[in-house]
Amino acid sequence: MQSTEFMIPTSVSEALDNISREDAIFLGGGTSTALLYKTRMIEPSRVVWLGKVSELKGISTSATTVRIGSTTTMAEIAANREIARLFPGVSAAAGVIGNARVRAMATMGGALAHADPRQDLPPALIAVGATVSVNSSSGSREIPLKEFYEGFLETVLSPDELVTEVSIPIRSNQRSSYLRYTPTSEGDYPTVGSGTSLIFGPDGKTIEAATAVLCGVGTVPILADEAARILIGSSGDDTTLQRAAEAVRNAVDPQDDERGTADYKREMASVFTYRSLKSCLNS
Amino acid sequence: MSERRIDAVAKATGAAKYTADVVLEGMTFAAVKRSDYPSALIEDIDISVAKEIEGVLGVFTSKDLPGGANLYGRRVFDVPILAEERVRRVGDPIAAVVATSREIAEAAAELIDVTYKELPVVATARDAIKPGAPLIHEKPWEYKGAVVTPEMGINIQSIDTHGSREAAEAALRGAAHIIDETYITPGDHQGYIEPQACIADYHPDGSLNVWNTNKSPYRLRDVLSAVFSLDPKKVEIMPTVLGGDFGGKGSPGDAPLCTALSILVGKPVKMVLRYSEDLLSTDGRHASEIRVRLGVDKDGKLVGGIFEALLDGGSYAGFKPVNTVNLHGIVDAAIAYRVPEFFVESKIVYTNNQPKGHMRAPGSPQAAFAFESALDELGRRSGIGAIKIRELNLLSNGDANPYGTVWLENRGKEVLSLALSQPRTQEAPKGWLYGEGIAIYARSMAAVPKTSLRLRKGENGKVIAEVPIPENGAGGQTVVREMIRSGLGIDSDKIEVKQVSTSLLPTDAGVGGSRVSLGVTVAVANAIKLWKEMPADQELVEVTTSEGSDGPSGAYSAQLARVAVDPATGQLKVLEIVSAVDVAEIVNPKAHQMQIDGGTVMGYGFAVMEDLLEDGGQPWALSMGEFKLPNVADIPKLTTALLRGGKGVGPNNIKAVGELANCPTGAAIANAVEDATGARIRKLPVKAEAIYWAMKEGVSK
Amino acid sequence: MKINFSLNGKETELDVDPMAVALDVVRGLSLTGTKEGCGVGVCGACTIMVNGSPVSSCICLVGTLADKDVWTIEGIAEKMPELIDSFVEEEGMQCGICTPGQIVAAAAIESVGASNAEEIKKYMAGNLCRCTGYQTILSAVEDHLAVN
Repeated sequence: MQSTEFMIPTSVSEALDNISREDAIFLGGGTSTALLYKTRMIEPSRVVWLGKVSELKGISTSATTVRIGSTTTMAEIAANREIARLFPGVSAAAGVIGNARVRAMATMGGALAHADPRQDLPPALIAVGATVSVNSSSGSREIPLKEFYEGFLETVLSPDELVTEVSIPIRSNQRSSYLRYTPTSEGDYPTVGSGTSLIFGPDGKTIEAATAVLCGVGTVPILADEAARILIGSSGDDTTLQRAAEAVRNAVDPQDDERGTADYKREMASVFTYRSLKSCLNS
Repeated sequence: MSERRIDAVAKATGAAKYTADVVLEGMTFAAVKRSDYPSALIEDIDISVAKEIEGVLGVFTSKDLPGGANLYGRRVFDVPILAEERVRRVGDPIAAVVATSREIAEAAAELIDVTYKELPVVATARDAIKPGAPLIHEKPWEYKGAVVTPEMGINIQSIDTHGSREAAEAALRGAAHIIDETYITPGDHQGYIEPQACIADYHPDGSLNVWNTNKSPYRLRDVLSAVFSLDPKKVEIMPTVLGGDFGGKGSPGDAPLCTALSILVGKPVKMVLRYSEDLLSTDGRHASEIRVRLGVDKDGKLVGGIFEALLDGGSYAGFKPVNTVNLHGIVDAAIAYRVPEFFVESKIVYTNNQPKGHMRAPGSPQAAFAFESALDELGRRSGIGAIKIRELNLLSNGDANPYGTVWLENRGKEVLSLALSQPRTQEAPKGWLYGEGIAIYARSMAAVPKTSLRLRKGENGKVIAEVPIPENGAGGQTVVREMIRSGLGIDSDKIEVKQVSTSLLPTDAGVGGSRVSLGVTVAVANAIKLWKEMPADQELVEVTTSEGSDGPSGAYSAQLARVAVDPATGQLKVLEIVSAVDVAEIVNPKAHQMQIDGGTVMGYGFAVMEDLLEDGGQPWALSMGEFKLPNVADIPKLTTALLRGGKGVGPNNIKAVGELANCPTGAAIANAVEDATGARIRKLPVKAEAIYWAMKEGVSK
Repeated sequence: MKINFSLNGKETELDVDPMAVALDVVRGLSLTGTKEGCGVGVCGACTIMVNGSPVSSCICLVGTLADKDVWTIEGIAEKMPELIDSFVEEEGMQCGICTPGQIVAAAAIESVGASNAEEIKKYMAGNLCRCTGYQTILSAVEDHLAVN
């Protein structure tokens, strides 16, 4: 068996130098990588562990933006009071992933790059307009998270690009929520997860902008644009919420699996979008 | 009052040694290349790359097996140690690598290149018995220990029947109300957390030491002796702690393969399954399809029933230990009731699925789900009522069950009313539907298994009890200590209980069948008697008990499930499971309670989540990420009500408990779902989606 | 590659493959109280404590433990005898294979500040037990938290 070189950079620039070799990979908490590596699904010649790159770690809040460093763990996101106050859906999603051990190890950047369409965090983050910052030796770019995913386990990242942080704009009059549906076991992947946000106009009643995003019902997180369009201009009255939730059925593209048939997931996507929107209004 | 369990400190500090923790000098490691196909001919096995890997000591296929021995089993010898010309399931072992490390062995096993020619797949029990179905085994009746004949039909592992079909049919024709429905349960796995493991250490003098995750050391010794023509006296099964069993660790597992490899390489060989392999290659619970017909007269009295079970035995029959090669829980389906004409047939067939064996109360969870669901449906549809139909038909004292047996007492009606009398403490979430369901289970307690043990004088007045049983968690060794403590009137810290290897005691039947306590209590009581009469210069007493019977007695349990269902999604929340349990004396109250709680949680898992997802000859639940077991946040509130004062068996006047609580849960929950929603679910696990669609269709409201 | 970390309170330097999982490494040091169960981070039998948090050692690459504070059941048993006592007294075990993981998880419960029964359940949900039905394990954890 070939041995894998284990690099421990202490800065982003050093990490980017380390990754230059072909088939090198970045390593965050390592939960997914360890599983893939020990079952010989991946055999990288080099891994670049980001645990010592202090500039990638932590959560900071300004008047306009919350920034989450890419090696921040799910547990750290879930425990952060500012995130809980400003983006309760993000907080909730980070707090329900896997189990306490996974939450303690798994990093946000690693999770986003893994791109499993059942993940809870992406719909919660997309709903509140998160943007991903990416660096590589050839420069940096910002990618709206809603444009980050290309397919099952696929993102727009090239192999030498490093997710450095996610930034979320703080908007007044925004309410957001994330709800997941795990009918079999609390510890399961969701059958469907729904992240929503509503931004209200100056009157505090009229919805000016809305986002509804779902996981578990497609190869990537699904944006329900038609649902959002229906909500805009309304006050979030029950009839409108129901119409919006109805529209979600046509937006999703679920597959039959052990967590439900496609037909059922479509129904549940609608139900949980409605409930998530209700939760926004009641928050 | 019971003192804390004997193994508590060692287990809590991590000091307890399980099979995987054993390290021997010069130990080597084995890994297996398993079949990727459910049914195929092996055209070629290319080991050339694997055997050149640094650290690989040998790569072996069936033709290398010592002495040409290949088939093994618990009764029927139909399981190949390594596949010969054919594979019959995904996961069939084809070749084994022995290497200096587990990682090298596993990596090398992946480099073994097998060329297959695919054969048609028999994916379900129903398909297996269709005329013209592909034969999984050409001539299963030729296997050593087989109980089938060619006349029985194709792909049959065993058929067990009881009663007269004609008489039952006649009785049903005269019934005022009948129910005729079919109930389905999935393949399941015991879900012990410790994957199966083995170390075999064969020596040039023909002696063999084996450490194995196995609860029946004496049976394992006999199987290994038979397979490899070894002198049983030279085969020594070493003491181990078992990390959970639930029936899955009665089979020889990989001990025959490990033994063969140790003979071949002349070194100790250790093989620890990855959990994914354990899910793929061991001996879980049979999937079932059970058609139930029951009839009552106009007064609600059962007049007859026909209970036809078709069970998926998977690719091999060799993991069923009993003489019938069947599951006695199936033929015992109506044992709690007075049914004048009851016919039961339990047909187990070969398929290309994982071989199935014994799992906590073999056959009973499936049978109880079918019978107690059907009885509930009959009660509701006929207008008699789900509770009333049970009250009318449960055995009273002196009544004979469908086998004509009269137990010392029948307390089914009492446990039913005790369960129903427990106050409701849990509210359904706002807007959810609420319902309650009941189910009853009884099992016979008559057989006293054989065992042996020795009491020996230790230093400073200590008494050392040497026992043949491994501690699988149920607390058998603690029971021994408790009996000695009370029998001899000495303190716990003066008593040491230890398992000894198979050469040091004559016999044991193994842990299982809810009868450990019974067999052990008989032996300990005898030993205590001898000890008290022992001359002062004598150092030890040894007792061997033979198989016997007592009673006949039986134990009942009734479970009341209180559930809530979200009408918008079908999501099921089991709020509470009340278990009313028929008990006599209790030797260790805490261990007894944990058997009820643990059993109920296992029953809950079977009812709502566990499923190997066998489809098309492939089990899809191949990790605990997909094969879900109940966690502490999933489970309902557990409430126990003990019906004390029963007439038990054995010197301690006890009743079995280990398999009482996991059997009625599935039916109790399904019955509660109908109560809440009007939707009848006849397939386990009960899924939110199934409830959702059934509610939409307005089934049987 | 040399990896330095604190193991059960002792500064430790190991020359290991950094891509080995922590489970195999600690068991290789005869610390066999850490058990291999599911191997995929679900069951919790292999739980170790890293910088105060619970971690699945079966999916933890040992290279990522560099300079961290690592505890296994053997160290926890010495450091927190009262926690062991809680499990022994409540008999929070049967077969015992999940028990070290349950106890190490309980030792790390402060990392999430769980205190009431619901929070304890949510936190302990990652540690499966097939024997006990969980009631005695919950009692042991509650007992431990009440004492501390």
